[in-house]
Amino acid sequence: MKILIKNATIVNPNKVFKASILIEKDRIVSLAQRIRTKADKEIDAEGKYLFPGFIDMHAHFRAPGREDEEDIFTGACAAVRGGYTAVCCMPNTNPAIDNEARVRWLIEEAQKDDLIDLFPAGAITKERAGRELTEFVALKQAGALLVTDDGSAIKDPLILRRALEYSKMAKILVAEHCEEHALTQNGSLREGFISSKYGIAAIPAIAESLVVARDVELARYLNARIHLMHISTVRSIEIIKRAKKDGVKVTCETCPHYFSLTVDDAEAAGFSGNFKVNPPLGDKKDIEAVKKALRDGVIDCISTDHAPHSPAEKELPFEEAPFGFVGLETAFAVSYTNLVKSKILDLKNLAQKMAYNPARVLGLENRGKIAKNFKADLVIVDLNRQFKVTEKTFASKSKNSPFLGRELYGAIETTIHNGRIVYSAGADE
Amino acid sequence: MDAWNKKHILGIKELDRSEIETILSLAQSFKGISKRDVKKVPALRGKTIVNLFFENSTRTRTSFELAAKRLSADVLNFSASASSLNKGETIIDTIKTLEAYHPDIFVVRIGSSASLPVLAKYTKASFVNAGDGKNEHPTQALLDMFTVKEVFGTLEGLNILVVGDILHSRVARSDIFGFTKFGSPVTVCAPPTLVPYGFEEIGAAISYDLDEAIEKADVIIMLRVQKERQSSSFFPTLREYAHLFALTPERMKKAKKNVIVLHPSPVNWDEEICSSLKEKLHPLILKQAENGLAIRMAALFLVGTRKRTL
Repeated sequence: MKILIKNATIVNPNKVFKASILIEKDRIVSLAQRIRTKADKEIDAEGKYLFPGFIDMHAHFRAPGREDEEDIFTGACAAVRGGYTAVCCMPNTNPAIDNEARVRWLIEEAQKDDLIDLFPAGAITKERAGRELTEFVALKQAGALLVTDDGSAIKDPLILRRALEYSKMAKILVAEHCEEHALTQNGSLREGFISSKYGIAAIPAIAESLVVARDVELARYLNARIHLMHISTVRSIEIIKRAKKDGVKVTCETCPHYFSLTVDDAEAAGFSGNFKVNPPLGDKKDIEAVKKALRDGVIDCISTDHAPHSPAEKELPFEEAPFGFVGLETAFAVSYTNLVKSKILDLKNLAQKMAYNPARVLGLENRGKIAKNFKADLVIVDLNRQFKVTEKTFASKSKNSPFLGRELYGAIETTIHNGRIVYSAGADE
Repeated sequence: MDAWNKKHILGIKELDRSEIETILSLAQSFKGISKRDVKKVPALRGKTIVNLFFENSTRTRTSFELAAKRLSADVLNFSASASSLNKGETIIDTIKTLEAYHPDIFVVRIGSSASLPVLAKYTKASFVNAGDGKNEHPTQALLDMFTVKEVFGTLEGLNILVVGDILHSRVARSDIFGFTKFGSPVTVCAPPTLVPYGFEEIGAAISYDLDEAIEKADVIIMLRVQKERQSSSFFPTLREYAHLFALTPERMKKAKKNVIVLHPSPVNWDEEICSSLKEKLHPLILKQAENGLAIRMAALFLVGTRKRTL
């Protein structure tokens, strides 16, 4: 099957330009001002923008164990709806993804419909218990690109040290959820005036930055690579910035809600469970720091931390509700609206944060930009179209989004994976 | 042969190339004694040697004991489990007590690394290191070198590959110091968790990939994998360890035709070495034990008969 996309504005990490592209099988076979080859399907993308398919380093697909909230197919549907063509799903499932058989199972299940490439993250420790390393080499061979005990940090610095050392041989990325649990306890909301005003159990900002500091120190000492996930605070960013300046091999990601929402939004929403997330929403200073860090390159990637939860759980009172937001379907529009329209980033930067940099951090070749012989994983967006986020926006089984009711710019029109149209906006309306 | 004037044999670090050559060539002549009908010479008659073992050992201790006896020395075996150490006597008190018998040589095996210089202050006797923590096991390295020289006729220009738990291995350290002194480059091969921090500076190359490292090796020294390391997460499972670092017939095919494999014993067959290689590899490993006896005779003889100075 050949697909010709004509007159698109191509958004690459280094350049934005008008061109046409021809796709054959799963590759981009030509890129030129005009292409005359006959194709099986032609898409006129005049006025639209063509991005490399987005790559999410951090999503929860809930399989195995909580398929009532999400499964591999619905997770993939949510991804393509949001323009994502590759996703790393987190291992904090039940049972945890801590062996090669579970990694293989997830990949094989995702390949059945082949909506996206699924790269399961393996756990760092068996059963995510923080005590014994998993078989990194076997996990890597099975298709895992990173290991993490997401949901918790590695508590014991000796185990993290061993993981960082062992990962050098296994050539797998170690990623950390930065949280000092002794300080977060059963907290729900960022510690500050609002948590104090309402008496809501709180999570101090240093619960994140303490672990960030420890982790970059370990990475520095061992000359090892580390990736820090869902970074959200001023101090975390200052520490990472300094470490990068010193040549520490640290990369990091943030999520759309950390540059678009604050604890004030949670208050304004009457502490709806849909505003409870971990790490918690910060204040205006955090948002400004995250934006600046995205612009300065301190933050490499935007990930979704897509975390589906059943309505029954999210309707609970704030302190009772589980942490997390669905995010695959809204990540691009939230990022475009809050970062590009407000001139924090340009389109090239956005392509870097959502496609090119994740591909580099994960070590994926021939992805993350639009070029000849690169993988035909692409997304066409209409940047001018404004839309309101409703439950219908979500293909996920769950609808727990803090953006419900918001007006956003940047609608996903078409998603192409392996040279096949896997989502097209007109088709399901 | 140069005159021997070292009081102690604490480690290969402290020996120079000509001293090592002296030990090896003397061991060569002592090797014949064990093949005679009467396996005894009066070289150390009247000398007292104390085997002072604060850590369990069977092979090394019996090898030293027999070496001393074949040189006609009087031997006293003192092991920590059978001693008053359990009653709270300190290591130093033990040495002071034994010193009262005027021994000539202490053969010491102890758990704490690099502890011999401190202990040697409490006795007039010589020390021969039989393994101090993770520091050195010089007679093991000397017998490895002796065995390699027997096979290749030289100790120069050979590629030495040491595989396994380098971090906790006194054998690995002694071998590195020994072989590099003769211009034979040493590569250590292990998961990064079992390579000591900053080990590049010791003068050995580091590899995490046995399939690659095995290709250019002339000598492979396999180290025992200690199961208790798994529970401390130095590696995830014995399965993954063996998959990456065990010597298998498939891996041996990648090695040079005349490669030799050494092991300090005891071998855990099917852990670090596949048991299907046993028939092929075990004879040389047993030969190491025979050579070890000659090396220990040479070591004891040299420190026991050295020319003293004021």
